[in-house]
Amino acid sequence: MVSTFGSLATAYSGLAAARAGIDVTGQNIANAGTAGYTRQRVVQSSVPVVQTGFVRGTAALAGQGVSVDGIARLGSLTLDAGVRAAAGSSAYATARAAALDALESGLHEPGDDGLATKLDAFWSAWGDLANHPDDPGAASAVIGAAGTVASTLAAGSKAIDAQWTALRDTAATQVSQLNAAAAQVADLNGQIRAALASGGSANELLDQRDQLTEQIATLAGGSTRTNADGTVDVLIGGNPLVQGTESRALVLGGGTALGDGQAVTVGWATGSVGTVTLSGGSIGGALSVLAPADGTGTGGALAEASAAHDRVATTLATAVNAVHSTGTTAGGATDAAFFAFTPGVPAAQGLTVVPTDGDGLATRNASGELDDSFADALSRLGAASGSADSVWATFVAGVGSASRAATAESSLTGLALTSARTRQQSGAGVDLDEENVNLLSYQHAYQGAARVLTAVDEMLDTLINRVGLVGRS
Amino acid sequence: MITRVTTQMSMAAASARLQDGAARLAQLTERATSLRAIGKPSDDPVGTASSMQVRKEQAAAAQYGRNADDAVGWLATTDGTLTDVYNVLNKVRDLTVQAANSGTMNDVDRGALVTQFQALRADLESAANTKYGTRSVFAGSSTESSAYDPADGWSTAATAVTRRIGDGATVRIDTPGAQVFGSGTSSVFAMVDDIVADLQAGVDVNPRINDVDAAIVTVRGAQADVGVRHATALAAQDALKTTATTLENRRSGIEDLDLAKAVLDLQVQQTNYQAALAVTAKVLQPTLMDYLR
Repeated sequence: MVSTFGSLATAYSGLAAARAGIDVTGQNIANAGTAGYTRQRVVQSSVPVVQTGFVRGTAALAGQGVSVDGIARLGSLTLDAGVRAAAGSSAYATARAAALDALESGLHEPGDDGLATKLDAFWSAWGDLANHPDDPGAASAVIGAAGTVASTLAAGSKAIDAQWTALRDTAATQVSQLNAAAAQVADLNGQIRAALASGGSANELLDQRDQLTEQIATLAGGSTRTNADGTVDVLIGGNPLVQGTESRALVLGGGTALGDGQAVTVGWATGSVGTVTLSGGSIGGALSVLAPADGTGTGGALAEASAAHDRVATTLATAVNAVHSTGTTAGGATDAAFFAFTPGVPAAQGLTVVPTDGDGLATRNASGELDDSFADALSRLGAASGSADSVWATFVAGVGSASRAATAESSLTGLALTSARTRQQSGAGVDLDEENVNLLSYQHAYQGAARVLTAVDEMLDTLINRVGLVGRS
Repeated sequence: MITRVTTQMSMAAASARLQDGAARLAQLTERATSLRAIGKPSDDPVGTASSMQVRKEQAAAAQYGRNADDAVGWLATTDGTLTDVYNVLNKVRDLTVQAANSGTMNDVDRGALVTQFQALRADLESAANTKYGTRSVFAGSSTESSAYDPADGWSTAATAVTRRIGDGATVRIDTPGAQVFGSGTSSVFAMVDDIVADLQAGVDVNPRINDVDAAIVTVRGAQADVGVRHATALAAQDALKTTATTLENRRSGIEDLDLAKAVLDLQVQQTNYQAALAVTAKVLQPTLMDYLR
């Protein structure tokens, strides 16, 4: 037998549960636009009847109302891990695509501003000099065109150096962001563990931590491991970046300039020695672009591009000097070089033109006659196989193909990320229609519970005030 | 399969689609305004390589064109000079015939003839030193200031002057003066001197007519040779003009965008984008909130 006021308690538990439901729905609606928010639900269960024994009889009794057990966070660890993996790949591919796009835009090919056109003008200038070997104008045109080729090569090579340095700086900034995120994850791990241990709700903290682990994945790939106490470990290259409430820091090391020829590496600030292999993320993408040239053309894109500029410069200088040295200058000098290199800088940046006027150009043969065969041979060097022009064309086409592939990979991984996010949002996102329906049902539940309260109240009123008045007037 | 569609999902998907459409619209606008099919190498790596190759061929063809123009100019100058030389030698022959037939000439008549011969000899010398620009057309690759000096004779040059008019084709443009005018005692200048000497010594100049005829034949032969080379250079000029047009068509075919297609693509994308905007505006508006009272 339920006590007289037991029904009131049951009705009250209904009111409280409906209130809690409305509160959580309100929280969901309030955070409909919050990034990284995962929807929540009140978990409630019916309170069973107090077990009857033979002492109190075996009457069938109604339950004792409803209890609010907790607030569930409707996220999926699998889908969250999918988003992190996709974010790592996407950031890796996007970093590479952006670097290659900047690289190829700097080439200005095909067009009038590219090196190919400057080389064509240089060879044409030799052709004009072959027509007018005694014309100082034609001679200065050759020297001017050569200067343009040299400065274009130098500018291209320096731009690549600058891009390399800028990309390394960006990677260094990203490593600091990564370290900051790792420290925050460790901090949140502590708060979450405390909240869960005391039986509270850590849903909002979990949302924050998920965002941070996704940021870490975007920066450096890696994986996370959930522990029994509610904390997560973040692993980078197999070693823990965050373990429980402890986090470690990464530092960017290795080469500090493209000219060093050293790989840029990521290592641990303390503890383990050696470099960390990044499986993805924008830092991983940046490191792959920053890698040194390897001699087979498969090294880092920027170092290979710089090496290609140097190759063009040396090929050009070797071919031109080989022919130019066979001629005799107006002053009677033989074996005169046309191009020279400034020692101590990359070939593309140190290419200089030796003659300063027509007297330094080999326009004559050994007997001092105006022999146009030298200038003619020089004008045809560009079309020869293995010429600087073909080295350049091969390089440009290679960069174009690489950039195209990187862009395609970037958009593919971008699609994968969008798809992973969509699946995640499908489970964890707030749907306003659904929340409206929930709001309505909790509202009705509240009204119903209030009605039960009224009914019990009236029932008691009848019992107390109306019973036992038979015969009174 | 996605069974639960949330407001955020629809919003994100819609904004991604709109962004995608706007990006494509921007790309097509850029292409339609620049009208270039290849803005950067990755747009078409193979086309980029072809474009660079065609541009190289264009530069070479333009250079060969300039070379051919120069060759035509040089050879035309030579041809004109040789015509002048031919006319002068004919006058020499007429005067020689006149001198041979005038059995009874007084000193005044002889003096007049000698003066005329000497004037013609000066004409020949000036013809021998004809220049094209700064270069003597009969001096070859020599760097001497004049091709023929009465005291020193011809300036020597072992190397021919040529112009490249094609990948494997060159044309020789100089004509060694010694081949046209002869050198030393067998030159036309010595011949005229001999006629003058004979005339002054009272010797019959009749046998000299044969020498003059031989000189005229030599000049005509040289002129024919120059004419052949001139024709080669002119033909090359014409061929190079055609080549330039062909190459420009090839370059344009690789690098340039068809205006009609570019505008059409842009228009289609614009319509698509507007449709996407309108649809998104319709789909995103309603929520249950609109129907609850």
